[in-house]
Amino acid sequence: MNKKQRMFIRMVVASLIRRRSRMIVALLAIVVGATILSGLGMIYYDVPRQMSAQFRSYGANIIFTPSGDGYVSEEDLDQGVSIFKKEELEGFTPYRYENSNIHNLPVTLAGTDFDSVMKTSPYWHISGRLPMGDGETLVGAKAAEKLGLDIGDSVSAQNSFMITEDTDLTKIPDYEIYTDPETGEKYCDHLLEMQVTGILETGGPEEEYIYTTFHDISSLTLSERGYDIVEVSVAAMQDRLKDYIKTINSNVSGISSKLVKRVTASESTVLTKLESLVFIVTLVVLALTMICVATTMTAVIAERRREIGLRKALGALNSSIIAEFMSEGLLLGGVGGIIGAVLGYFFADVVSMNVFSSSITFRPLLIPITIAASVLVTGLACLIPIRSAVDVDPALVLKGE
Amino acid sequence: MSLLELKDVSKVYGELHALDKANLTVEKGEWIAIMGPSGSGKSTMMNIIGCMDRPTSGQVIFDGRDISKESRKKLTEFHRDKIGLVFQQFHLINYLNAVENVMVAQYYHSMPDEKEALEALERVGLKDRARHLPSQLSGGEQQRVCIARALINSPQLILADEPTGNLDEANENIVLDIFKQLHKEGTSLVVVTHDPEVGEVAQRIVRLEHGKIVSDKKNENFTE
Repeated sequence: MNKKQRMFIRMVVASLIRRRSRMIVALLAIVVGATILSGLGMIYYDVPRQMSAQFRSYGANIIFTPSGDGYVSEEDLDQGVSIFKKEELEGFTPYRYENSNIHNLPVTLAGTDFDSVMKTSPYWHISGRLPMGDGETLVGAKAAEKLGLDIGDSVSAQNSFMITEDTDLTKIPDYEIYTDPETGEKYCDHLLEMQVTGILETGGPEEEYIYTTFHDISSLTLSERGYDIVEVSVAAMQDRLKDYIKTINSNVSGISSKLVKRVTASESTVLTKLESLVFIVTLVVLALTMICVATTMTAVIAERRREIGLRKALGALNSSIIAEFMSEGLLLGGVGGIIGAVLGYFFADVVSMNVFSSSITFRPLLIPITIAASVLVTGLACLIPIRSAVDVDPALVLKGE
Repeated sequence: MSLLELKDVSKVYGELHALDKANLTVEKGEWIAIMGPSGSGKSTMMNIIGCMDRPTSGQVIFDGRDISKESRKKLTEFHRDKIGLVFQQFHLINYLNAVENVMVAQYYHSMPDEKEALEALERVGLKDRARHLPSQLSGGEQQRVCIARALINSPQLILADEPTGNLDEANENIVLDIFKQLHKEGTSLVVVTHDPEVGEVAQRIVRLEHGKIVSDKKNENFTE
């Protein structure tokens, strides 16, 4: 580095350090701008992920059904859910439906896993509590009304089947046998005693069912089998969900998976609009920030008109003055960009915690983008006042006119 | 050959003749005071001599070269190489210390050299104040830094605009003593002033009124 370059750096550094108060004002404007840019950028890129997670309160967005006439087996289910990324899979709940009678009225029993059901159906409103094991039941509001059931009541589900040579009655704890007088065939009325722990309200068809554990439903029907349907909740965008469905349908033979359109379509619409909104807000804020930075830099340059006049009187060419002042501006832009990029992450995290109640995902790519944008905006903001300032007549400026 | 010649130089702003067919010759090593009341055309003449402005008509010949029609860029390069400027309001860069202010003139002229800049400050008696910022210097000291800056590139002409206008008597004497020393060393000086005391120490006194040179006399009281 020759003496001229060293002097150049010395002047730029001296200007930044010894004009601290002025530079802090300019730096502050740039930092605020860069922070907002970086923060909104992170929010913009994180909105789909955050909103996907939020939309899970609408319930499952993928359904597994048997691909043929059978049921979804445990092996197929394991294979199917293993295809989803762990961090995207919010939960899955299998269901097995059986017809039964309660108080001589036909009802549909739904066996399920009460440990996972709230992950796929977080909108369920339960008066009382979920069953904690066998012998307990959750009754849909409409079924409860039809059967006159309330929390704490005992209910006896009845399953009638014909006794054949293969029937092993020793497995049935509670039953009654009767003979059809016309055919002479013997029937077994198997009873399952359960206690109602909660009433389910959803406003949907779920209110028609009586929910039990898989073990209870197997006991009642004396049969073990797979599932009729599996609800899966995945925090991902529609395109990604479609990819998953394609993979599952081609790799897992026993499962036919499909999107829950009423959920995914509305998610997609809302998300597109929200993304557009955040994008427009980001652009507007960026424009306002640019104006703010430009105004500050214009004021900072304008108050140095006399210095520019002096430099010209000392023999500085316009190009030389532009280079010196631009270097100061770009250095400020770079430093402001670095600080703003870091602060922007914390700003986005605070916003995310308040709006979505979860942390923001750090996007390293936004750091160089923020710094580059900050340098560019500051450079542009400096260029206009510098270009007009170098046209000053040094004689007039030095005379104080 | 004269160092500087103004031949029928006029500067017109609309209806106003700030300078009206002025003729002036400055010989090498000469010390001239340009005097006159406000609005007489002193500043206009200084700007034209200092290559910071161009005449509307007439010729400005500096060291044998006609610079009256040169482009702004050429004029800037020319005055950077040939002329050292001393201002009434000092015009030091407030965030650079004394030696750095002197080095700025070197920076735009050729190559900054701190040792030479310190020697220039020593010449005006300010070596021990070299690391002080302008705000830490008195008015007289700031003017001496301004003179050191004007001298650093060994110009052919020192052009001073009211150099003692903002100084007390003690500092005025210090500055005039420096000018005397420079004159002894053969430096050409053109000092624009309205202060008779500053004019009286010059070798030649040129008086301006309404843009015209009304008198151009040798100073009988001039002493080396």
